[in-house]
Amino acid sequence: MITQRDSFWNEIYQQAKTDRDIIIVSADMGAPSLDKFRTDFPAQFVNTGIAEQNAILVASGLAKEGKKVFVYAIASFLTLNCIEKIRVQNGMMNIPINIVGIGAGFSYPDSGPTHHLSEDIAIMRSIPNITTISVTDHHMSKKLAQSYKDFDHTHYIRLERQPIGELYKTCEAVNLDKGLHEIIEGQDHLIISNGNLLFKCKEILREKSLNFGLCDIFRYPLNINELEKVVKKYKKITTIEETFLPGGLGSSILEALSDLGIQMEVNRIGLDTKKGYCYQYGGREEIHKYYGIDKDSLISKLST
Amino acid sequence: MIKNDLESKCLFLRKKILEVCLKAETGHVTSSLSCVEILVTLYYKGYLNINSKDLEDDERDRFILSKAQASPLLYLILADLGLYDMKELDHFAQKNGMFGVHLQHSVPGVETTAGALGHGLGLAAGIALRAKMDRKLYMTYTLLGDGELYEGSIWESMMFASHNNLNNLVGIIDRNYLCTTDFTENLVELEPLTEKVQSFGWNVVRIDGHNLHAIDNALKNLRARPSRKPTMLICDTVKGKGLDVMSFKPLCHGVPPKGEDAKKAKKQFYL
Repeated sequence: MITQRDSFWNEIYQQAKTDRDIIIVSADMGAPSLDKFRTDFPAQFVNTGIAEQNAILVASGLAKEGKKVFVYAIASFLTLNCIEKIRVQNGMMNIPINIVGIGAGFSYPDSGPTHHLSEDIAIMRSIPNITTISVTDHHMSKKLAQSYKDFDHTHYIRLERQPIGELYKTCEAVNLDKGLHEIIEGQDHLIISNGNLLFKCKEILREKSLNFGLCDIFRYPLNINELEKVVKKYKKITTIEETFLPGGLGSSILEALSDLGIQMEVNRIGLDTKKGYCYQYGGREEIHKYYGIDKDSLISKLST
Repeated sequence: MIKNDLESKCLFLRKKILEVCLKAETGHVTSSLSCVEILVTLYYKGYLNINSKDLEDDERDRFILSKAQASPLLYLILADLGLYDMKELDHFAQKNGMFGVHLQHSVPGVETTAGALGHGLGLAAGIALRAKMDRKLYMTYTLLGDGELYEGSIWESMMFASHNNLNNLVGIIDRNYLCTTDFTENLVELEPLTEKVQSFGWNVVRIDGHNLHAIDNALKNLRARPSRKPTMLICDTVKGKGLDVMSFKPLCHGVPPKGEDAKKAKKQFYL
């Protein structure tokens, strides 16, 4: 299965054939799909070295003058190291760039917590004029690459590093404006998740024959009108996320329900800040065990 | 405009900076006073070509005021050039006014919102790089404070600009030797600054930043791209230039003079 990253950059390569204003600014981040771009369109590829803050600034300068810029690096560095640059240039000035970060959640399981992406949702979604997309599969990343011309503000695109599954059968099945997709209609109990854990939830519901609903919420700010249509069919919600709980997916759902005036039971499952940062190795599932979001723990939590 | 006129313009702007900030009881008087000659040369000697009828004209030269605390000076110059009414300065940092203490891009003629330091050089590098990509002839100038040089992103951008041969980019450092709490060399030494910037691959010209003739000479041929590398003007200046009660003194950052000092300042500037 193609990675979200390669699907994204392959499509950008196609677009760049006819759009010379597409510029990739990389903070020394490569990919096989990017090598082709760099070889064939060297004038449209800028490498800043491992200098993410400068990469955001240069990207913003280029975009201010009309270029369509994709700035690329490991997601935790590109967001957390650069947050004030993003806040001023892209939040306050509303200079539209595309911040393409690789390494959603524990995509780098062997690299330790510096590479884990566990706070970005809370931080990025608090900045005005920025849309965050937590990409679900390679169809969605391709759809994003096709849609760049319509973006009039900054998009933060967080990509998984390895293939994690295929949810949408085609690009056309992805509705970016809607920002969510009710994958499974169930009874009473709705599971809300995204990214890697969404696939795990889908697997659990199938294996355990649990008649729960399952919703992929991949865009922040949330589309609360669409959310309302889904949640009003249920009595209870469980949110499952691969980020620290404060400000994350579950938090955003609680805010939305409050804004909608909907009172219902919500359980949030995610990374507990009391557990701190994780130095476990041996794969993503081992890290999930540390935080109690591994498959067995989720089965136990969802079955009670 | 002959030199005497430029000197008169500097005097006029110095008086207005003090007047505006005293009235508002806020604003960075000293940070503005140190770069008056620099901005006057850029704006009144033809280095910054802007089209007042079309401020978005793609051929215009770009000016990024990275040390955004000098906003009173820039706002005054843009009013003086007719981009909006000088009376707007009466409401500087006041309710319903069109601008605050730092910089906002909604003001006609202002390219960026700024106030957080360490942004301007990288942004300017991106703007200059785009000119190279699209074969545009405009120049990009950016004014940095010397206190801003402590921000690491400045040095990321400096490396980047020289590597990419951005000879359409001119950096200007307002080297006034003072931060908020102390002189720079007491905080963390910036010198030897010329050699540091040179070692990052820039042409460096170090001049007296209050000498209109020297600034003019340093800027004169840069549009002709005499070198492949970007140029940095290090302008030695005095923070609070012209105002004895606030010159050569730490802890005068971001505030207008008060009480007796305000009286002395007004007297010195004939207000």
